[in-house]
Amino acid sequence: MWREIANREAGKTRPNSFKSRVTSGLSSDLQLSNHKDIVSPHRGSVNSLQVDLTEGRYLLSGAADASTAVFDVQRATEYEGGGAIAKHRHVFAIDKQHRAAHKFAVSTAIWYPIDTGLFITGSYDHYIKVWDTNSTQVVMNFKMPGKVYRAAMSPLATSHMLIAAGTEDVQVRLCDIASGAFSHTLSGHRDGVMTVEWSTSSEWVLVTGGCDGAIRFWDIRRAGCFRVLDQSRTQLGRRLPVLRRSMTNKKKTVTGNGAKQQLALGRTPGKGSVKLRMHPGLLSTQDRATAHYGAVTGSRVTEDGMYLLSAGSDSRLRLWDIESGCNTLVNFETARLQTSKPIQMATSGDSRLAFVPCMTAVKAFDLWSGETSMVLRGHYENVNCCWFSSQDQELYTGGNDRQILVWSSSKPHEDVSVAEDGDNWSD
Amino acid sequence: MDEAEDGGGKIKPLIEKATDSTAAYVEPRLLKAIKCTVRYSDVELRLAAQTLMDLMKRDHSQVRYLSLLIVDELFMRSKLFRSILVEKLDQLLTLTVGFKRNLPLPAPPSVATILRSKAIEFLEKWNSSYGVHYRQIRLGFDYLKNTLRLQFPNIQGNAARIQQERREKEMRSKEILQNKFRTLEENLPSMKQEIQATIDEINQCLEIVTCKEENSLLSHIDDDDDNDEKFRSLELQQIRLNSLKEADKVHEDAENRVVFDTLRELYKLLVTKHLISVQGWISVLIRVEITNARLRDSMLKELIDFRNQIQLVKKKCAESGCSLPAIPKNGKEEEEEDFWEEGKVETIQRTGSSNEPKKLNESLAESSTCGEVKNPSTGCSNRKSEKHELPGNLLRQADSDPVRSKLLEKAPVMSWGSSLDNWGPNKDVLANQRGMEFENHWGRVDYDAVIPAGRIAELNLSASLYKEEQVEIQPCSAPLRKGGLCPRRDLRVCPFHGPVIPRDDEGNPIIGNTSDEGSRVSETAYMESNERLGVDSVEQLAKQAVKNVRDRGHDDARKRKMEKQLVKRAKLAKVREHNEAVLKDAALASTSGYGGVDGADGELVARSSSNSKKETLASMLRPKITRKDRLSQRLLNTKAKDATVRQLTQGEDAKYREAFPNQW
Repeated sequence: MWREIANREAGKTRPNSFKSRVTSGLSSDLQLSNHKDIVSPHRGSVNSLQVDLTEGRYLLSGAADASTAVFDVQRATEYEGGGAIAKHRHVFAIDKQHRAAHKFAVSTAIWYPIDTGLFITGSYDHYIKVWDTNSTQVVMNFKMPGKVYRAAMSPLATSHMLIAAGTEDVQVRLCDIASGAFSHTLSGHRDGVMTVEWSTSSEWVLVTGGCDGAIRFWDIRRAGCFRVLDQSRTQLGRRLPVLRRSMTNKKKTVTGNGAKQQLALGRTPGKGSVKLRMHPGLLSTQDRATAHYGAVTGSRVTEDGMYLLSAGSDSRLRLWDIESGCNTLVNFETARLQTSKPIQMATSGDSRLAFVPCMTAVKAFDLWSGETSMVLRGHYENVNCCWFSSQDQELYTGGNDRQILVWSSSKPHEDVSVAEDGDNWSD
Repeated sequence: MDEAEDGGGKIKPLIEKATDSTAAYVEPRLLKAIKCTVRYSDVELRLAAQTLMDLMKRDHSQVRYLSLLIVDELFMRSKLFRSILVEKLDQLLTLTVGFKRNLPLPAPPSVATILRSKAIEFLEKWNSSYGVHYRQIRLGFDYLKNTLRLQFPNIQGNAARIQQERREKEMRSKEILQNKFRTLEENLPSMKQEIQATIDEINQCLEIVTCKEENSLLSHIDDDDDNDEKFRSLELQQIRLNSLKEADKVHEDAENRVVFDTLRELYKLLVTKHLISVQGWISVLIRVEITNARLRDSMLKELIDFRNQIQLVKKKCAESGCSLPAIPKNGKEEEEEDFWEEGKVETIQRTGSSNEPKKLNESLAESSTCGEVKNPSTGCSNRKSEKHELPGNLLRQADSDPVRSKLLEKAPVMSWGSSLDNWGPNKDVLANQRGMEFENHWGRVDYDAVIPAGRIAELNLSASLYKEEQVEIQPCSAPLRKGGLCPRRDLRVCPFHGPVIPRDDEGNPIIGNTSDEGSRVSETAYMESNERLGVDSVEQLAKQAVKNVRDRGHDDARKRKMEKQLVKRAKLAKVREHNEAVLKDAALASTSGYGGVDGADGELVARSSSNSKKETLASMLRPKITRKDRLSQRLLNTKAKDATVRQLTQGEDAKYREAFPNQW
């Protein structure tokens, strides 16, 4: 560690490589943190966790008892065991006693991406509510046609303030905070929508996964979905070979379709690409393509916006190349996934690890090889959600046992308690 | 690596051996061996953790239970073991507490409940001692407690509560003592005066009495001088001295009655009130905790002086021979004190052979004669057997009076009852003279109503039970072949060793001991006894039979005792056997590795023994199958067969899809 710092000081290592080395070192040996307890006020399973994107300090959790809570993960409220255990109590919690609280389970709770002044909760009582954090009052209410499974806001958005909501209903609705109305209704799925994700590379692109097993890409500036992921369209490796790509590019320019390349997401060349563009509603054959057998229960776009990790009720994880729309055929080791509920997955900051709730454990997969690198056991019942805080290199997980657990690297904390906790052989 | 493998061979069989038992605890030797092995080798420790977790998965609660006990032992000792096990704590809890519905605890339900309660108890213990260091333990504890709402024994809390209660109690008693001390401090001077006054008065009374005594003594001495020549005989002299001594005692008569009464009164006051209160204060002073130790010491000293003084006076009173009141019988309120003082009263009576005890004895004798008249049969039968049970002091006193002693010898001891209440008087009783007014609306009351004496006697007729004299039947005590003596108790003939004859400690017959050969001895003894048998009259036999029937209760008790002994002996034998087996195992384990022929042998032995043990483990699991069960089983089988066939055909394509989704 010190040598690396010295190297960095001397300029032998570049800042980026130094950073990635440190962070990967920290995130590669996560353990249940003994020094950081989050005291959960929830009386039901924790369904959603998110640390705010601006400060990386406030953890928002939504639980099945219709309660929402915010924790300060940086500063503990009290210490126990002679200062060895830091207890983080909630900064505030909204439960059913609150006048405007949800009636049924909160399925999703997300921060407004620009600051921590607002947060959004979606619930099984068909409502999406926008809350003012400081006054803990509802500032906006959206009535949805069915149970809300997942809501998302684009972390990049500068030109819109849309909440994408996946519900029991087949249509995905975009709720505009600015106007308080639904700005879009995206139809295409044939069943409820369990996951909703905004692309991390383009503020206009939305990815939704439905109970019909399809993952659809939407460009909110245009009507209809522009891509349906098909599990049978595959590519080996991370990217198509450069050679073919350049060739196709050449072809494209030859055919005079260059204008379309300016889209943030390039189109993969293929047979149907021309027709695709001509018919935004898609051909029926492509429209029926599925990404999973069964429902898509979770999806996560990597931080660089190039890959999409999806989980289905067929207990499979698939990694998709967003640009080509192909299944990359990474063979994730078999794991049993929860099938009835949407799950919230997380990826580490450098997109090296994917954290997936697998029943009672959280498994960390190597994103590129699919191997299990860690199995984090701590919950006593199924895990629903996890969130990786790239600022602290900590993982937060919430499960049906009402706990929110903190997983962090054990290295920096080898201190006082070790002395007390020793062998005790009397005979 | 090789070493690790080598070491690995050691701990695994030990643990398996330890968990392969039906006992409710781990064999202490094996446990010790496990601890010793694991203590010095991390490799062994890891292996032990692995083995224990594997054993936990066995489908038998007994195995899990014993493994849990070992886990606890190691958990409380080794840090490495803790850190290994904590990672799998959820698994461990699932397997031991069985909180998951799809993973209930396995078969013997009795052991399963113990296992569960023990696991919960251990978790609590671990949480209290290591919860700070391991988040997992805290989590598990919290989950079981707050989510599943299992009842934890809360040992520590209880202990703290009990401690608290005890402390409070102590505080309270201390407070009371302090209060007592304060009152004592206030009252001491007045009490002192009172006691002193009483003592002084007693002394004065005694002085008066002793004055007379001296006078009389002088006169006696004169007499003695006068008659010295007349009585030369030693015995006569002795008698005379005795009588003189008797005469020395001051007897109560009309002129000194007042003095005696006062003395008695004062004595009573002294003994019943002052002495007791002084003793109480002393104990208070000893127990109380005060800062002023000097004051306490001085007070204590004073009180002890007082006590000694009182005792001295008491003794003096007793010696002086004045008739002293029987204190406790004078209607004290506390029953316990009555009991307690009994002995004291007797001693007083013994030392002072004065008028009153004599009177008492006389009345007793009189009553006994009455009893004889009334119920001669009882008297006769009981007299001899109970004679020697007469209280010592009575006997001693009786010695002085030959007539009374003779009477006493004859007197029966009656069981206590209401009939003793009006023993002597043979007269009518007034029915309506009980100190209460019976004038009421029921009509006029006849105050002169009389219950005739005959009627009273009839009402008070005391019934007594005939008690059979208990006879100890001698054991046969013939020498047994396996050593020891025959413990059978038969009246005449032992079915194994012939007639019962007196024998010495080694079992040789005492009668024929002079002859040289044992066989002949026994033969002659047999003949002899046979002869004796012939001689025995039928009458005697019948009597004996009756007695035998009566003693059946006794025989039963004896038999039970014998059985108990036998069981105990069997148990001991079993324990010995087991100990030997364990020793053998320990020896095998301690030999370095299972090398060569010996090792193979050992393994064979181990396997065979484990096989035999496994039988017992399995037998714990085996359910009792009834006819109903068998029928339902058969029905189920046919149903299940159909179901599986249907399922198989149905699930074929689905399975295919599941199995090969990535192949295309």
